[in-house]
Amino acid sequence: MNYFFHIGRYFWMLGKVFARPEKHKMYIRQLFREIEGLGINSVGIVVIISLFTGGIMTIQFAYNLMNPIFPTYLIGLGTRDVLILEFSSTILALILAGKIGSNITSEIGSMKVTEQIDSLEIMGVNSISYLILPKIVAVVFVFPFLVVLSIFFGLVGGLIVGPFVGVVSLTEYIDGIRYLFVPYYVTFSLIKSLFFGFLVSSVPAYFGYFVQGGALEVGKASTRAVVNTNILILLFDLILTRLLLT
Amino acid sequence: MIEVKNVTKLFDGKPAISDISMQFREGQTNLIIGRSGSGKTVLLKCILGLHEADRGEILYDGRSFTRMRQKDRKEIRKEVGMVFQGGALFDSLTVEQNVRFPLDMFTLMGAREKAARVDFCLDHVNLTGAHRLFPSEISGGMQKRVAIARAIALNPRYLFCDEPNSGLDPETATLIDDLIQMLTREFGMTTIINTHDMNSVIQIGESILFIHKGEKCWEGTRHNILTSGNEVLDDFIFANKLYAQMRKEKNGSH
Ligand SMILES: Nc1ncnc2c1ncn2[C@@H]1O[C@H](COP(=O)(O)OP(=O)(O)O)[C@@H](O)[C@H]1O
Ligand SMILES: [Mg+2]
Repeated sequence: MNYFFHIGRYFWMLGKVFARPEKHKMYIRQLFREIEGLGINSVGIVVIISLFTGGIMTIQFAYNLMNPIFPTYLIGLGTRDVLILEFSSTILALILAGKIGSNITSEIGSMKVTEQIDSLEIMGVNSISYLILPKIVAVVFVFPFLVVLSIFFGLVGGLIVGPFVGVVSLTEYIDGIRYLFVPYYVTFSLIKSLFFGFLVSSVPAYFGYFVQGGALEVGKASTRAVVNTNILILLFDLILTRLLLT
Repeated sequence: MIEVKNVTKLFDGKPAISDISMQFREGQTNLIIGRSGSGKTVLLKCILGLHEADRGEILYDGRSFTRMRQKDRKEIRKEVGMVFQGGALFDSLTVEQNVRFPLDMFTLMGAREKAARVDFCLDHVNLTGAHRLFPSEISGGMQKRVAIARAIALNPRYLFCDEPNSGLDPETATLIDDLIQMLTREFGMTTIINTHDMNSVIQIGESILFIHKGEKCWEGTRHNILTSGNEVLDDFIFANKLYAQMRKEKNGSH
């Protein structure tokens, strides 16, 4: 019952989000602000996490494939496919739900509890659309770029760490990441990223917009937003993998 | 003039305000007073349509806000300025951008015209040289001034203030009250102010609605509030010893 209420209200909110903007110039201005605040500012964490994860994965593949019956190119190939299929889309989305999602909930939530949202409504501004639409557009727009960035730096991580710790040679690794490459996997990953971008922006926006109370409730809402976004990401991962890959 | 007719608002079936009627005239400061939790904010939000009244009607200069479509309400809202209890300034924008926001959103003014209007509004609230500061960098009293400047940016016909001087020291509170009264007279606005501050009541209470536990309990002005003979009202007023003293003196002189 409670769940249906939230789902209903979420879609009601989305209906308002995509209403016609009052003044395009103001939306464009907000959009650029959000692309910078939510997108550009996430580049650093994406690069660092991907470098490390790519490196660690390469070591683990090498360790598990130590038996000489496995060809060495499997190490690069394994790293590549795990990055493309799962890490750089799904796991990255889970991580960004923590960063971007909690940021969105706390920003909108604190605007709510300090009556800034009421203030917008009084002025006759559609606050849902004004605050949330630029965030959704910005995050859906930057997510595919972050995914590509993550794949790239994940591969670079393996490239640096593999030869450095001596589990795989540079040429073996490069042969591996070029072997049996399926371009559709990248397409699949990018399609997923659009869905995840939408979830990571709209779900936390929902939790922020309907906060009631004070600063304490905003904090709780942030936590709940991240947890629910994560569950939804995994659910959509399952559905999309089933639909698009098998 | 804003007319409120028999307005009731329920939360979970229980009335937060019930059957309140009142007329708020233009060019004067209309006060809604009562203890914390008596329903002042709920009434104000009903008038503004932030809460939907369950019963009753609200008229803005004869235009029925209650029966209005959402689109027409937006037009009325463009004639409304509101000062929220905490100021509700946009904290990602500077003072100047806050005051300019309604102009950006709703007018086709050029940059120079907007700047002039922003300066005009900030001058009117006696705030100069704070243009580039953020709300978090200025004092509570200054925040209220900015909120008032933003509220009058679009030259509103109606001004609403929810506890405009709560959290301020008495001197600053007095200044804010005077400021609101002066602006109300100068621009001929219909101004409604929520307060539980007796100083405001005595100072600017040109019309007073006293709410107790969600019901209208008394209506009058600052001139007859001390001698109303209404027990509930007296309990509210004379919780403050100073006013109890004033009453004594007043009664003594008759
Ligand atoms: N959104 C709401 N949901 C449920 N109850 C509310 C809501 N807003 C206010 N109330 C209740 O209505 C009563 C009046 O509150 P309010 O108008 O804020 O008082 P005040 O006179 O201090 O402004 C309080 O008992 C409050 O708990
Ligand atoms: Mg209140």
